Amino acid sequence: MGWQSANSMVHALQSIRSPRHLRALLSRRSTNSAHTNTGASLSTHIQTWNDARGYATQVQPAAPEINFEKFQALPARIIPTSPAYFSGSPKFIDHSLRLEGILAKYASLPTVPAREAPRMAWFRLPQFREFVGEPIPTKKYKGLLRILQRLNRIDPAITPREVRDTLNDFLRPGNPYDIKLAPRTLDELGRARGKGKRKASHAVVHLVEGEGEVLINGKSLTEAFPRVHDRESATWALRCSSRLDKYNVWARVKGGGTTGQAEAITLALARALLVHEPALKPILRRAGVITVDPRRVERKKPGRKKARKMPTWVKR
Amino acid sequence: MVSPLCWGCLTLLRQAPRTILPSPTAVSQAAAFHTSAAIYARVPAPRGRDSAVGYRRSTSANIKKKRKVSERARPPPVGERKALRKRIVLSNPNALEVEGMPELSEETMVDSRLRGTVVGLPVPMLDQLRAVQAFKPKQGWSIFRRPGTVLRRETLEMGRLFENISGEGEDRGVVIKRIISGQRKSGKSVHLLQAMAMGFIKKWVVFTVPEAGELVSATNSYAPLSDENPHLYVQNEATAALLSRTAAANKAVLSKLRVSQHHPTLSAAKPGMTLEDLAKIGVQDPASAWTVFQALWLELTSTSAVPGLEKNFTPRPPILVTVDGLAHWMTHSKYRSAQFEPIHAHDLVFVRHFLSLLKPGQDKPTLPNGGALLYATSTTTNPPSVYSFDVALKQVAARHAGVDPSSPEFPQPEAYSKTDPRVFEALSSPKPTAAKEGMLEHQVLGGVTRDEARGFLEYFARSGLLRETINDELVGEKWTLAGGGVIGELERLGRRVRVAA
Amino acid sequence: MVFILGVNFPERNLVKKALQSFFGIGNDTSARLLARFHIHPTCKVGELANKQVLDLTAALSDMKIENDLRRQILEDIKRLKETGTIRGRRHALGLPVRGQRTRTQIKTAIKLNRIERRL
Repeated sequence: MGWQSANSMVHALQSIRSPRHLRALLSRRSTNSAHTNTGASLSTHIQTWNDARGYATQVQPAAPEINFEKFQALPARIIPTSPAYFSGSPKFIDHSLRLEGILAKYASLPTVPAREAPRMAWFRLPQFREFVGEPIPTKKYKGLLRILQRLNRIDPAITPREVRDTLNDFLRPGNPYDIKLAPRTLDELGRARGKGKRKASHAVVHLVEGEGEVLINGKSLTEAFPRVHDRESATWALRCSSRLDKYNVWARVKGGGTTGQAEAITLALARALLVHEPALKPILRRAGVITVDPRRVERKKPGRKKARKMPTWVKR
Repeated sequence: MVSPLCWGCLTLLRQAPRTILPSPTAVSQAAAFHTSAAIYARVPAPRGRDSAVGYRRSTSANIKKKRKVSERARPPPVGERKALRKRIVLSNPNALEVEGMPELSEETMVDSRLRGTVVGLPVPMLDQLRAVQAFKPKQGWSIFRRPGTVLRRETLEMGRLFENISGEGEDRGVVIKRIISGQRKSGKSVHLLQAMAMGFIKKWVVFTVPEAGELVSATNSYAPLSDENPHLYVQNEATAALLSRTAAANKAVLSKLRVSQHHPTLSAAKPGMTLEDLAKIGVQDPASAWTVFQALWLELTSTSAVPGLEKNFTPRPPILVTVDGLAHWMTHSKYRSAQFEPIHAHDLVFVRHFLSLLKPGQDKPTLPNGGALLYATSTTTNPPSVYSFDVALKQVAARHAGVDPSSPEFPQPEAYSKTDPRVFEALSSPKPTAAKEGMLEHQVLGGVTRDEARGFLEYFARSGLLRETINDELVGEKWTLAGGGVIGELERLGRRVRVAA
Repeated sequence: MVFILGVNFPERNLVKKALQSFFGIGNDTSARLLARFHIHPTCKVGELANKQVLDLTAALSDMKIENDLRRQILEDIKRLKETGTIRGRRHALGLPVRGQRTRTQIKTAIKLNRIERRL
């Protein structure tokens, strides 16, 4: 699609170019009213003009003969560098043409499936508008993105340098997919640290190898969580990987209620466990302990009884 | 004549009550053509409370809810609720009988090979234990076929101490004094129960205060001790209850001992009567209960008879004193003096007597015939949290560890904190001078070890409560979930029925 | 049934509540009375010793309670009115006496404040 629309753009450019010739033609029409043909291409103009000259030999010429070699070299007025200068969005069209050209050039290179291509953070539309300084419609930008994605799918092993440089022009600053987090490691005392949040609670867990002791805010598990269910959910990451008696847990948790605190510890514990044993990730993922629950209590609003509830409607 | 009916709207064809409709002739005279408006014009409703929002009235609906009429059942008879609450069931006929369960006896209470196994309490002893109210309602006795307790490290250690005190070795007649604390459900009360059971096995005299809180919660009668001591108060009913417990539980021991001291204040105490009868005097006449208790205590702590009464004297057995819920005694009681000032718990002679035992005796041990004082800070009865008591317990531990009270390491209450000097005074027991008297210790009960937890859970499985195979993984899991083997939590986990997912 | 100051109380009643049934004795006064004679607050009427009953009756008869107290209150109001004080006038008008606002919430004063006050 983008390919075709770019082609149509080329057509449009050609039609834009034509008025200049038409203007020259109009001045000639005053001398020769018999001429009616308004051809599309320059060559036809010249030909018709030559034909007209055949008629004009009978009268005194109004101007010296024009040297056409010189005419081509020295235009009558300054020609813009970009052929799309007189369009509404010349820079955008330039970019499109450039990408289309590259794509046409390397269309035969092998591609990989989309999910194997490197992740790229392209400009968002407002950012791109700011980048080119032109009001680009959403639809046209989507077309551009499609070309970019197609170019990105070229096998990374053999991607030409030109393609890579071009694609890098369209990345937004600070590529988020480019940030590689430093892999978490144990500290010098063999502790792994993990943080977790749930509801209004916030937990930090330090995990060391040990024999199954749990201390939460300096209290034992039973003192911290009188409810057995909370105890089970707090230690669920160790339980489901059957490592309950291989680690000692030291946790600090604050905020929220007992359920939130227990489940914040669950998440923090699972993250700390992943530092010790990254291979456990699939098991923990299936146990649902490394999925963050981002829900929070919705705030109460003025004029409402709760977050959403309205006071009872009364007639009058 | 023009019909009163309006043909266009035909409103009059509706059935209207006759009273509302004016007579057709009247209508025809009043309104020649359109009559419906005249007939159905509504009287404007009077502006009442509903129509306008009054001054400072809320606009939201204020609908009164209809009161639910529910039939109230007759309340149960007086005392039934309390009886139900305090009821103790010691046997569950649906639970499986555990084959080969050892019984607590002189041999098993010191057998370290049995560590971690659950031993049954001897059936004849149950009545004695019930008499001293050793069982508490929520200790889970009712889920097994017969009551049993797990032999943990502390139990075996205590059994060895008891054997030494009763035995013929050099430790004979030693006094041990302990304050037992620990987190919730860590088995403090059951530890006391085990001590009582061992005391009964060894034929000691067992005095117990099962609910220390009842003495200070102002639910028993009280009176000034005497005119000379107007600031000391005696609780005759509570003392009578203590005498009754002691007499009932130690019947076998007390009926063999005879009065061999002079009791000038108690005319009813005849030389030669058994101590059981002596105790029963106080039960029958609560007014003299405190005097009787003092006489009984004097008899039991005597090492020889007064001249002239030697034929009545037999050597006195060691004494076990257990108090459950010590923290209640470390603050003001709910009683009021005549001037309406709160009475400190230490001003109640009953409490004062048992706390004074923690102090070392002047020239001979507080229990000259040996014995044990085990005071637990039970958490079942919602004890007050007394800061001074917490610090004083740390001081007890430090003093026992040999820290000099004047050294900077000795725990001190925080500056500007409100402390109770009487609590520190009561628990500051220096190193005793008598050789046979142990120093006051602070014992903290923690969780059981994994092996003990395994034995405990196996007992659950063999009783048919825990339908899982007991392996290391299960034991480790329960041990961790029980906060490091807190035994009450283990019991809670063991009895929890797991629904197969 | 136990007679305290000529009133018969069932044995199962709490002593504290029994004392509070007299006009002029509330929570605090009854608690102080009990403490004075070393009666614990959960004591039932039936558990009282004879001496304690007599002590209580003697103490109550020394106190200004019941009709004596009523009469004194009425006399006080009357005296205020007769000396022409503003408090007396407010009593007579059935309005609040102690300088409260009268725009709202004076139902209690309307109900109670009068010269011949119901007690």
